[in-house]
Amino acid sequence: MLVFTRRRNEAIIVADGIEIRVLRVSKDAVRLGVTAPADVPVHRQEVYDQIREENRRAAAPPGMPLTLALLTKAMDDAS
Amino acid sequence: MSRHSAPGGDTRVETAFGSFDVTADQVITFPAGLPGFEECHRFVVLSSRELEPFKCLQSVEGPTASFLAVDPRRAFTDYRCALSDVDRARLGAPDEATLVWLAVVTVLDGQTLVNLRAPIVVNPTRMLGYQLMPSNSLYPLRFELTQLF
Repeated sequence: MLVFTRRRNEAIIVADGIEIRVLRVSKDAVRLGVTAPADVPVHRQEVYDQIREENRRAAAPPGMPLTLALLTKAMDDAS
Repeated sequence: MSRHSAPGGDTRVETAFGSFDVTADQVITFPAGLPGFEECHRFVVLSSRELEPFKCLQSVEGPTASFLAVDPRRAFTDYRCALSDVDRARLGAPDEATLVWLAVVTVLDGQTLVNLRAPIVVNPTRMLGYQLMPSNSLYPLRFELTQLF
């Protein structure tokens, strides 16, 4: 891992055109500003992790066809 | 899933939901993969009478990336998830009226959960797909499908 010391209003540059700037520092939080090209997603890590975990749980487990049959029947009955 | 070439240039994809013949023009590119499956960049959306109203989102590159999905507008008729500038760029500046929306379904311990927060969106014109990750969505990550019945 690369480690930098940055002061308020100082930044680091990642790849082409991604800038991460320290805007404010308080006791146990840092406020960062990220400037990135229009097609580069930027997420809080916990948001990404939550969706990754949900996708992994969703990836078809064995026994899925039977569950599906019950599910589609339930939807048919309901409509 | 396994795959082998079938006559006529089709590829046969074996899934938990049966076998499907897919052609190259059905393959959707996900440049970023999906969170948790970042190495899978090529998927197909499979439909069948048995699956209806669900669809199977299946990677053509690996067996594990196989998902059951449903159009989130089936859960909420007024489902609306705004695209950010990044989302639009990732989807190749789509005509929003033509987009295909898929919410990932998880079946676990007798519960059927639909991820309405992070829908997968496909631009059929460019065959590009991307999973939205809105940080301030009002929709739940785990919507219980039984609430519909």
